[in-house]
Amino acid sequence: MSEYSPIKTVGDVSSVDLYTSGHRTCAGCGAALGYRLLLKAAGPRTVVLGPTGCMYVANGHQFLSSPYAVPWYHTQLGAGGAAGVGTAAAFRVLMLKGKRKKEDVNVVVYGGDGGTGDMGFSGLSMAMSYDYRRFLYVLYDNESYANTGVQASSSTPWGASTTFTPSGKIKKIGNARMKKNVALAVAAHPGVRYVATATLFPPLDFINKARKALEADGPAFIHLLVPCPKGWFADPKYTVDLSKSALETGLWVSWEYENGELTLSYRPEPRKHVKAYLRMQKRFEHLNDSQIEEIERMTAKEWEYWKQMDKQRKIILPWNAPPWA
Amino acid sequence: MSKLKATSKTVTTALHKKYMWTGTRAIAEAVKLADVDVIAAYPIRPYTGVMNSLAKMLANGEFVAEIIVADSEHSQFEIAKHASAVGARTFVGSSGVGLAYAAEPIIVTALGQLPVVAIAGCRALDDPGNFGMEWNDVLTFRDHGWLMCWARDPQEALDMTLVAYRVSEDRRVLLPHFVAVDGAAVTHVSTPVEPPSKDDVAKFLPAYKPLYPLDPAYGPVTKAQHIAPSLIGPELRKVVDNSMAKAEEAIQEAWEAYSRFVGREYPPFIESKFMEDAEIALVTMGAYAKDATHVAARLLEQGVKVGVMRLRYFRPFPKKELVEALSRVKALGVIDFSYSFGSADASSVLFNEVRSALYESGSRPLLMDFMFVGGREPSVGHFEQAVRLLQRSAEKGKAEKHVLWPTLRSEGS
Repeated sequence: MSEYSPIKTVGDVSSVDLYTSGHRTCAGCGAALGYRLLLKAAGPRTVVLGPTGCMYVANGHQFLSSPYAVPWYHTQLGAGGAAGVGTAAAFRVLMLKGKRKKEDVNVVVYGGDGGTGDMGFSGLSMAMSYDYRRFLYVLYDNESYANTGVQASSSTPWGASTTFTPSGKIKKIGNARMKKNVALAVAAHPGVRYVATATLFPPLDFINKARKALEADGPAFIHLLVPCPKGWFADPKYTVDLSKSALETGLWVSWEYENGELTLSYRPEPRKHVKAYLRMQKRFEHLNDSQIEEIERMTAKEWEYWKQMDKQRKIILPWNAPPWA
Repeated sequence: MSKLKATSKTVTTALHKKYMWTGTRAIAEAVKLADVDVIAAYPIRPYTGVMNSLAKMLANGEFVAEIIVADSEHSQFEIAKHASAVGARTFVGSSGVGLAYAAEPIIVTALGQLPVVAIAGCRALDDPGNFGMEWNDVLTFRDHGWLMCWARDPQEALDMTLVAYRVSEDRRVLLPHFVAVDGAAVTHVSTPVEPPSKDDVAKFLPAYKPLYPLDPAYGPVTKAQHIAPSLIGPELRKVVDNSMAKAEEAIQEAWEAYSRFVGREYPPFIESKFMEDAEIALVTMGAYAKDATHVAARLLEQGVKVGVMRLRYFRPFPKKELVEALSRVKALGVIDFSYSFGSADASSVLFNEVRSALYESGSRPLLMDFMFVGGREPSVGHFEQAVRLLQRSAEKGKAEKHVLWPTLRSEGS
């Protein structure tokens, strides 16, 4: 931790982009913006591993171009954790055996919600149980399998319409499962040195968390909410506004967990009604006022826990009565 | 003068010390000799013993490597693949359904041109939790750009592991390598093994130097970027195809070099016994070639002109050597531990491969497939019966039935 000191202003952020042009992500892509901020934070002595997902498929394809100015290797959809461990293990042992010069090399995985919270959950858990330094797993959460055409994942919020959980004449609600809190599950690993959540706003928050994570002296994890105009059926110009609104309505909670202590990075006081966020996105268009009130009720209930956590600086699992109960 | 002689003799004895090792232990010793950097483990019988041995060696400080206890075979093979991409020498392995679980990373490792070496302790696939010996677990990957060799015994398992690293890391090749060992018959049986000296191994197998390591010190390499198939799809397949073709040469050279170091002769692709005058032959892979050879020796004494061929490699498939060896053979029986349901004549993988290799050649013996499937162990009696059936077919000029399941209750003896 000793080497970390926060960047205070956007002007102090590196002007060098290591995630550059040469990709074909959607207009307003939140995950691409997250990539750019992440690599600004990590710097050039970094290896990036990209599990299958939007940030694999949309970052190449047409002209054999590559947007990465650091070494980058694809890994399979569920393999982010294992790829990170294999890469970090190789660097550590090659340096130990004198087969490579000793220096700090960051190993960063940038995996989506399906590849991390669903298919790659087991491998992520394994990775978080090892002791590799400068190893950061960032989950970019756009709340669906977006590149395959917006199918629900376990990270899709309750009430969102996706192509696998469409709102229909009989089943009106859309996705009837509650969003999984991957970061809290990761925090349950005693070996993990740093866990945080973030979103694209404010940008310095994520950049600083990524920098801190890489100095954490062990495996680190950041759950990054990235608005997705395609999957959320929102106007591309509102990507960052959606990040901001997610924080203000309390639907996204930004926090850090290190040395057994939890800190809220942002307190929505007073918290805005969830309607402000939900009505910006057509994936929630089918919800009637009472269903929106149901989400507001769940959010208020969850925040009773977050306030307790904020006071005690400890993780308490937020229990919520499911909307179907 | 006599003093000098004595000294030289002492050295020779020291170098040729033999140990009683199981196949898994022998492979672990090879991994240690190869100074492997990253090992990924996950338990499944019968291969597990390799990892048990390696873990103990590392705990005792016998050599230095990272050993990762993975959460699954999928992670295991991904770990090896990515460690290899950075430039580490890697070792991994599995058996049966474990290999099936790892199918995805196994396939992309070859396309990544990464010289990962994996042991496959051959085991029947589920269900039920069959722990018998079958080859289908490894042979699932026969089409995916992995080199595959089959060891006869613990000694050869050790030798093949060392040679596998040399061939895989050869820049003409750069393909991953399975060292297949028959479950129980090689993995769990102890026989005398004579390991090469550390110095000889260091000369035979210099440190791995990757071409384009995934390391910021070598610049920003982008690997396996998503592509439009129309751009380089066929070319990427051709890369593996070319590498596989070049592997033949690399394998030949590697075994010549290895034979010189250890002072034992190894034919690179096919080990032939009594094939000079053979009219009938058995062809197989792995441990049961020993039993087949034992039967053939006994029958030779009775005047039956039978020989045995043991394929040491399945990938690349030694077509040329097989055709040459069969030029005078009238009837050939495949001793096979695999199956391919619904294939031509409802036969097996090795049988179809052998038949396909012979189709355009001048060597077109009568073929019979002896399928020892489901994990029930064959006896020497089964092999003797196979030779008798081949003999009868050769006399008649045709086989009444050419696909047989000798160990099946309703069919067997």
